[in-house]
Amino acid sequence: MKINVVKKVFKANDLVAQENRKIFKETGILAVNVISSPGSGKTTLLEKTIPSLMPDQKSLVIVGDLQTTRDAERLSPFAQQVTQINTGLSCHLYANQIAQSLGDLNLKEADFFFIENVGNIVCPGEFDLGENVKVVLLSVPEGDDKVAKYPTIFRVADVVLLTKVDLLGHLQFDLNRVQEDLSKLNATVPIIQISSHNNQGMDIWLDWLTKRRKEAVGRQAKFVKEE
Amino acid sequence: MHEMSLAVSLIDQIEKLAKENNLVRVDTVELESGELKLIIPEVMQEAFGVASDGTCAQGATLKINEIKVEVQCRQCQISFKPSLNDFQCPQCQKADVDVLCGNDIILKSITGQTQQDLKGDNHEDKCC
Repeated sequence: MKINVVKKVFKANDLVAQENRKIFKETGILAVNVISSPGSGKTTLLEKTIPSLMPDQKSLVIVGDLQTTRDAERLSPFAQQVTQINTGLSCHLYANQIAQSLGDLNLKEADFFFIENVGNIVCPGEFDLGENVKVVLLSVPEGDDKVAKYPTIFRVADVVLLTKVDLLGHLQFDLNRVQEDLSKLNATVPIIQISSHNNQGMDIWLDWLTKRRKEAVGRQAKFVKEE
Repeated sequence: MHEMSLAVSLIDQIEKLAKENNLVRVDTVELESGELKLIIPEVMQEAFGVASDGTCAQGATLKINEIKVEVQCRQCQISFKPSLNDFQCPQCQKADVDVLCGNDIILKSITGQTQQDLKGDNHEDKCC
């Protein structure tokens, strides 16, 4: 007996992601999926970003790693609440892992919900978590060829953060190559050059984040000061 | 790397479908794999073998048809098939597109046997 189906295999994940998105909208929080290779500076970026948003804008964090609670421990002093998810062998987070964590988080008391995904620039792009924006980091030490080598994640990025730019003068890295490769994938994506070491570009990044939040949640913004 | 997640989700759906349709054994599974999902067929076959172990789809044949990505330029409205690292429109040279196909993984069909089918098979065996 043959049964014709035509059903999306990741439908279950997508449905949970839609529910998550609905919750983020209702509670007036901007969910930010932070994606990069391991070691590109996701946690360091959040260590700098979250206190810079304070005291007007408060943050919650979910951190995904295969093992350890090290990143959660690093971010605990800055965020209102931090949840560490250990994924075991899984190289990305699922929407239901986010959904399960939401019950323990006080969403109404925060403005930003940062999801630090598992370090990987292939699989996290394939799993919708319900986020409002995808932030993709590329660090200078990784090399200028990564956009063309791993194009799918850069194609769907809402912003690309070129991190560790304080190393630009010390390592061989062709910025034009990155810009050119990115323009072939995503004509509208902004690239922000940033350094968590010397704070270069932090103001541009914070401005981008705050604007996205206002766009996403509009009048429901809680702690953002009206200009 | 996400083939194992896919295989587990796929087996979940197959088991539900098999139950709904009284299938006790699944012989063939047809899957459409969008190029943008970056599924490697050989890895997917391995993952399917592992995920189906002990289920009604154990030993089933997995047929994977790759669907090439096709996009439409938001400016010119023309459709084209890009390479994965170049989505620039051949007309306006801008990479600002909507994906038309090649971005999904779709379970197309399953083929299997009900208890009754199997009894029939046994009956034929006996006849032979």
